[in-house]
Amino acid sequence: MADFNVNLRGVGPVSVIDVKGYLDAHTAPELENVFNKLLDDQQFKVVVNFNDLKYISSAGLGVFMAYVETMRENLGDIKFSNMKENVFNIFDLLGFPILYEFYKDENEAVGKFNDLDKS
Amino acid sequence: MVSANLGPILQITNEFVTFNNISRSMMRKKLLKIAQSRGLENAILFSILLFLFNIIFPIHDSSILSIISEILVFCTIYFLYHYVYNFLGMRADSPLTLVLNAGILAALLFFIISVTNSIFSSGNDKGGLNFFNSFFSILVFFVFIGAIVYIFSSFRELFFLRQKKDTRTYFNTMLVFFAFSFFSNILIKFDSSLDYPRDAFYVVTIVLICLNSLRVAWIAFLTKKQKYYLLGISVILSLLFGVTSAISSNANVMKQLLSSFSPGLQTIFSLVMIYGTIYYGIIFFTTLFHLPTAEAFDRKADEVSSLMDLTNLITQVFDFKELADTITNITTRVCNSESAWLITKNDEGIELNSVNKIGYIAADKISHQLLDEEENDFESIVIINTEQLVKLQIEDQTFRSIAIAPLKVHNKIDGYLFAARRKENQFDLDDKKAVKVFADYAAVALENAKLIEESIEKERLEKELDVARDIQRKILPRIIPGSDRLGISALFIPAFEVGGDYYDFFQLDRNHLGFVIADVAGKGISAAFIMSEVKGIFESLSRIITEPRDLFIKANDILKESLEKKSFVTAIYGIIDKENGLLKFSRAGHPWIILCREGKISRLQPAGIGLGLDYSSGFANSIKDMEIQLKNNDIIVCYSDGIPEAENAAQEEFGYERLESLISDNHDKDIDTISKVIMKELSLFSKDHSQHDDITLVIFRWNQIN
Repeated sequence: MADFNVNLRGVGPVSVIDVKGYLDAHTAPELENVFNKLLDDQQFKVVVNFNDLKYISSAGLGVFMAYVETMRENLGDIKFSNMKENVFNIFDLLGFPILYEFYKDENEAVGKFNDLDKS
Repeated sequence: MVSANLGPILQITNEFVTFNNISRSMMRKKLLKIAQSRGLENAILFSILLFLFNIIFPIHDSSILSIISEILVFCTIYFLYHYVYNFLGMRADSPLTLVLNAGILAALLFFIISVTNSIFSSGNDKGGLNFFNSFFSILVFFVFIGAIVYIFSSFRELFFLRQKKDTRTYFNTMLVFFAFSFFSNILIKFDSSLDYPRDAFYVVTIVLICLNSLRVAWIAFLTKKQKYYLLGISVILSLLFGVTSAISSNANVMKQLLSSFSPGLQTIFSLVMIYGTIYYGIIFFTTLFHLPTAEAFDRKADEVSSLMDLTNLITQVFDFKELADTITNITTRVCNSESAWLITKNDEGIELNSVNKIGYIAADKISHQLLDEEENDFESIVIINTEQLVKLQIEDQTFRSIAIAPLKVHNKIDGYLFAARRKENQFDLDDKKAVKVFADYAAVALENAKLIEESIEKERLEKELDVARDIQRKILPRIIPGSDRLGISALFIPAFEVGGDYYDFFQLDRNHLGFVIADVAGKGISAAFIMSEVKGIFESLSRIITEPRDLFIKANDILKESLEKKSFVTAIYGIIDKENGLLKFSRAGHPWIILCREGKISRLQPAGIGLGLDYSSGFANSIKDMEIQLKNNDIIVCYSDGIPEAENAAQEEFGYERLESLISDNHDKDIDTISKVIMKELSLFSKDHSQHDDITLVIFRWNQIN
């Protein structure tokens, strides 16, 4: 059906996940695989770049909820960046901004991690 | 007048003609029927007549008596023959038994002739014709008749065995000439110089016998072992018939006895003996020539029957493992290989499904080495011989030749069938073809097994969906507790896969009505279970906690135990005072309430995150209460995200604005109509797109009655 693409790249000590297309119950497992790989590699600092994401369903939101706890326990986090308004509205309605950090720009999010390390 | 008189006569004539035709065809059918169904009775009847006749007239010198005697003998033979070939027809599937039985009877005749010759050879011609002698000789004649008929019928069965074309004419022609030869003997009775027709018929019959003896197609269908057996038997029997024929044609006691009893029988006897000699001779040579190809024929036959077994198995056995075992077993047997094994390919690599006469580890090793080292994908069947095996550095050097055939369905390779030989001789073209055919069957079976598995899985999912729908239907309220002051319209449309929508009303006390609208993330049976738990939580908490915010905090605590990490629930819980129109509610991540007051839309969206998103203080801190004093004709709309997120074919969303403008445009209509309008617009909007989430729409209207 609707296609979905996920790409993982490293920016310094931070892992950036680019998500693209439609993230729903059918495509969520692809994203889960990426998160599992990060856990295997002991990578806990994650920025998810939403620049090319068109749609997210509750199953897609669930993926972040499933992994955020582990990341935080290991002094990492999942931060969101470059979100389109319609996607942000879905996060907003659910109250995600209270629990997660949202950034306009990927570099800003990556920088937040680095600031934290320096201090 | 004339024509009027002629009419009935013509009619009668016509009727007579038709009657004549009918009766003739009927008579013929009847005769045939009698000949067939009553063969035994007729045979016995004529035997008795013949017996009595011979007892009464031991020596018949007059022509009339001879003719009657000959006719009786002929009828006996004819009816007996009819009976015996029908009887033999039932066991035509074992040609070797027919051959053997005919041979045994021939041996019996040979024995009788030899014994009578040795007994009477010393005695003079036509010794004491006392009663005992004639009685004994009649018995011997009957044995002769029986044996001849049986042998002849056996030949007939063998003649028709495995004949593809209708060869009845050839055989019947021969029968007619047998009859001619039989009766031509009578002519000699009248004039001894009239023996040329008899000789002519005799010769023609022998020619026909020779021609008909060539019908030995059935030999090809025997197995190799049976062919060897037949080869031995046919040479002995051919000699036996030949010797018997030779003895009986010489002037001796038996010949004299037979000729005096019935010259026709003597002729038939010698003809059948000649038939036997020729036929078994031909059988011998044909079998001899068939021997070199016997093995190949056996293998082909084995292949065909194996394929038939496989075809049956494919349609009956759903277990691929069992089929794979059968296939490797057959491959080993039919392709003359020492070992065979079958592997299937999937995303993780290769899986060994079945091995035959080889260890799992060895088979696994060889397959891995062959498939990994060779860049070749083995798109079609490949034979790898010793030199290549050495080159490929297969450690297990026991095999000299390995055939690899891909299991191909829709041009996709699902696995491979291997056949391996230790012997020096390599796989030939036929072996290659056979391995390929078995691989193709395995591919079909594999595909079949997959499809069945898929359909079982699909059925299981359908059942699961049925259960989920059932749960959902049962937990939704049946009665909508509206009143004069508070009108309520509730509508719910489940998605095919069953989303997790839930709404409910609780009559808390006389004036207070609690309501909840919730959406469980996820679909199917897991969502349905959480839904029913959510119902339980709200039903019980609504009785003890009067503040919506406190209720949510408590509900979040409870859900911590049962919700998966990645699952959450959005909800709105509110309490309406039906006395004064005060609405108090909280929102947990759910789409906001739409309030329409005199056509103006406002969004009632107190802060609050979804249930299950956070189990620490974050949840309690985020959640807020909201209180609204309703005014006359105020419309309150609660809904699930199935409405704003409904999509059309272009993947555009229905959106909140469309929903809100529909409400404000129709605010003066009654709430059921508003609900209908919204649903109508929604279905028009997404008519080319399937509904992928549940849709819930609950509308309240406050009527101030002063």
